[in-house]
Amino acid sequence: MTTTLATFLVVHVLTGVLGIGLHNVTLMHILKKTPDYASIMRLAWSAFVMYLISWGTSAYYYVTYYGTSVKPRILAGNAPFAHNFFMETKEHIFLVLPFVALSIALSVTYLKNNPDDELRKKTAFLTLVAFVIGVAVAASGIFVSGSI
Amino acid sequence: MTFYELLVVVHIIGTVLGVGAATFAEIYYARFNSDDILSDDERKTLTITFTVLRIGLFILVVSGFGFLLYMRLTEYVEPLSSPTFWAKMTVVGVLVTNALLLQIRKIPLAVGAAVSLTGWYTALILGIIGKTSASYLELLLYFAIATILVGFVLEFIRNSLHGPRQIT
Repeated sequence: MTTTLATFLVVHVLTGVLGIGLHNVTLMHILKKTPDYASIMRLAWSAFVMYLISWGTSAYYYVTYYGTSVKPRILAGNAPFAHNFFMETKEHIFLVLPFVALSIALSVTYLKNNPDDELRKKTAFLTLVAFVIGVAVAASGIFVSGSI
Repeated sequence: MTFYELLVVVHIIGTVLGVGAATFAEIYYARFNSDDILSDDERKTLTITFTVLRIGLFILVVSGFGFLLYMRLTEYVEPLSSPTFWAKMTVVGVLVTNALLLQIRKIPLAVGAAVSLTGWYTALILGIIGKTSASYLELLLYFAIATILVGFVLEFIRNSLHGPRQIT
């Protein structure tokens, strides 16, 4: 693996974990009785940026390295389902995450100027969904890494 | 200092902050709530303690993923398939879920406190022992039993400090 690819992999993982963490904090703040939407907005937009960076770096790693150098080793090893199920699921679900993160950021931005309890609850639910997807994707990534 | 040693140090700092804050959160809450009233100063002390706990959890998770990257880049991935590792990941997941459920008041404080305290100590112990002959399900069963026992002990301590009516 080249230094560039290793750097991209590191950035992919760390920005992904930060995105999950930021959504966790976003959720905690949205659930408060009197949410501070200015702070929540910063958190939600930061999560979106983190997922975009994670998305871009992983795309480059996946297209230029994973398919030719990692995937064949996993398929030939003891746990081919790590690719066939976990990576296939992870890569498709992960496509959705930046768009979910963008929707959360836009909702919170709207809520800052137009407080609405129903929208607050639905945004909280969407953030929970994004958080759960993020955790599932991260766990799949660990499983795939452990199957090489 | 190598990168691996740096990761170990950061991971231990996260664990110390988390386990320490979880312990003192319990001690402070039991002590402060013994008169059923939380003063502003007591609330501020608890808020600071919970902030330290969250910082510890954040450091623990980020350094944990640092280990993952280190193992991936050096191709030493054997620990990633061990039952201890996955039990530890599950316990950290339980800690985060527990914090969320406490935030939206979907579980009683007494239950949340027992899960939090036991979860932090379980993560610490699993991190220390590393390899074990126990399976993933056995480790989670021990965690569940320990949580119930800790719940009873905490209840006893609170009742001793205050009387049987104080936990809501």
